[in-house]
Amino acid sequence: MSWIREGELNLLERISANILKAGPMPKHVAFIMDGNRRFAQKKNMERQEGHMQGFNKLAETLRWCKHLNIREVTVYAFSIENFKRSKDEVDGLMELARQKFEKLLEERENLEKHGVCIRVLGDLNMLPLDLQQLIAKAVLGTKAHNKCFLNVCFAYTSRYEITNAVREMAWGVEQGLIKASDVSEPLLSACLYSNKSPNPDLLIRTSGEVRLSDFLLWQKARELHREHQALQQLEADRACAAEHLQSHGNGKPASGQRRREALLQYTACREERIQDFLEALKRKRDSFFNDLWSAGVSA
Amino acid sequence: MALLYGLLWRLLLLLVHINRALVVWLRVRLRGWKRRVWERAMAGLLLPVALAGFPDHQKTTNQNPDANTSPGTVKRLACRRSRLLSDGRSLEKLPVHIGLLVTEEEPSYTDIANLVVWCMAVGISYVSVYDNHGMFRKNNSRLLEEIVRQQQDLLGGDGSKCNVEFLSNGADKHHVISCRPTVKVLSPEDGKQSIVQAARQLCRSVENKEKGSKDISVSMLDVLLRESRNVPDPELVVKFGPVDSTLGFLPWHIRLTEFMSLPSHRNVSYEDLLGVLQQFDSCQQRLGQ
Repeated sequence: MSWIREGELNLLERISANILKAGPMPKHVAFIMDGNRRFAQKKNMERQEGHMQGFNKLAETLRWCKHLNIREVTVYAFSIENFKRSKDEVDGLMELARQKFEKLLEERENLEKHGVCIRVLGDLNMLPLDLQQLIAKAVLGTKAHNKCFLNVCFAYTSRYEITNAVREMAWGVEQGLIKASDVSEPLLSACLYSNKSPNPDLLIRTSGEVRLSDFLLWQKARELHREHQALQQLEADRACAAEHLQSHGNGKPASGQRRREALLQYTACREERIQDFLEALKRKRDSFFNDLWSAGVSA
Repeated sequence: MALLYGLLWRLLLLLVHINRALVVWLRVRLRGWKRRVWERAMAGLLLPVALAGFPDHQKTTNQNPDANTSPGTVKRLACRRSRLLSDGRSLEKLPVHIGLLVTEEEPSYTDIANLVVWCMAVGISYVSVYDNHGMFRKNNSRLLEEIVRQQQDLLGGDGSKCNVEFLSNGADKHHVISCRPTVKVLSPEDGKQSIVQAARQLCRSVENKEKGSKDISVSMLDVLLRESRNVPDPELVVKFGPVDSTLGFLPWHIRLTEFMSLPSHRNVSYEDLLGVLQQFDSCQQRLGQ
């Protein structure tokens, strides 16, 4: 079963879609695809068949999103907690993922036609190597597309994502690229796996459960208003610039002019540091996928 | 054509508002009705029962827990206290930590105080109160006074016993908890900001070569985020108001929290709260397995 189900909507679906599009629409929707096993039990199927049906429904949902002009979709495919399931079930899910990513690579032209960019978020090191290589191929192959975006969360939990972002910032400090005082809310957001996506407007969980289960906890939380963020950053810069002036000064209190100059200089330096750090981080992440891809090719 | 679709959209929105208003009106009217009738009414209005909440249930007291002082009140209040406690015990699963998330603009301190007192009486150890604008944090003392007053009125607690410990942000220099139950007042600063502060602290220790970046783990960050508070994650958050968002409530701590909604915290009744607790009782957490 293909990732992109072709075909137009029927009349009723088209009318409903047009009515909905007349109002405000979310730009980014996140799905927790829950309930596959309960569905399989209800229909007296094997669990694996339940997961397959779940995937088919996902493909149909992506088609609806495309028709509704929802450009970005994030799905919670496999949590790090799911590794606790029986070996058979985990192996079955990995095999399903393998099949689906192989199918994806076969449909490359179709993906290019629709401009679909696939990103996979999570601790990919926890997955079998061949699956990692397939994922790398899919991600690199669709990197340049920009009409719509599908983020698949695989071996993902939100706490792990936030911790990883903190680890990356600590790596930046270790490498001397940034200082600990540069750590801020926007910088943490920029270090997440999902840094290229806007925050989701809507989160939908199927099967009736009412919890987040460690999914997009940071992204779904309200952020400080821009003005408040800017003010906080300004205060922090002012404090650091004053400290710097004091330590490099000659004991006399600095003039207002001197303080303003120091503040501007400090802010400019900080912004440059952060840019360099984010670029280094991007290179590190790209090389992870490139290494996997070349290992896959040479194997 | 676009104009027609626009008009149809507006009509649909109007229907949604009417639906919501009807649900709120029915909740008040059907307080005495049985659960099945309520479910049928909600199904008729095409509203999932989980969203609407139950206005009534079979098991508990029908008496209004709001007291009025009169002779023989002490005995009645003691009766009420033990009844609330037995309500809590009759549930298989009671949350250790409950969050009250108020999304409405003007909070009512009396109603929130009622909720806090009922939660504590039923046997919940930690109650967190949160609103989007940090108003509860700003009016800390007013909330505490209301809670103490409601405790007197509803349960007849005597002032000499330490029944409530009020924990606020470390910056306010309030006392450390020594006895339960505990009330915590949270604001948006306790959310992402505290995660950023913990991150800064970890980066600083990396800067000072006290640890390496690879040493940073989920449990390390978890310990830091729990250090100043020392309470378990909220198992249940009851959201009041029409806004469908957590509005920044403790993002790190809510990974496994069940979210249940009630339309409003104004004039909320004990039965509303008990209905939510019973719903929580029937939830099944598989924890990934």
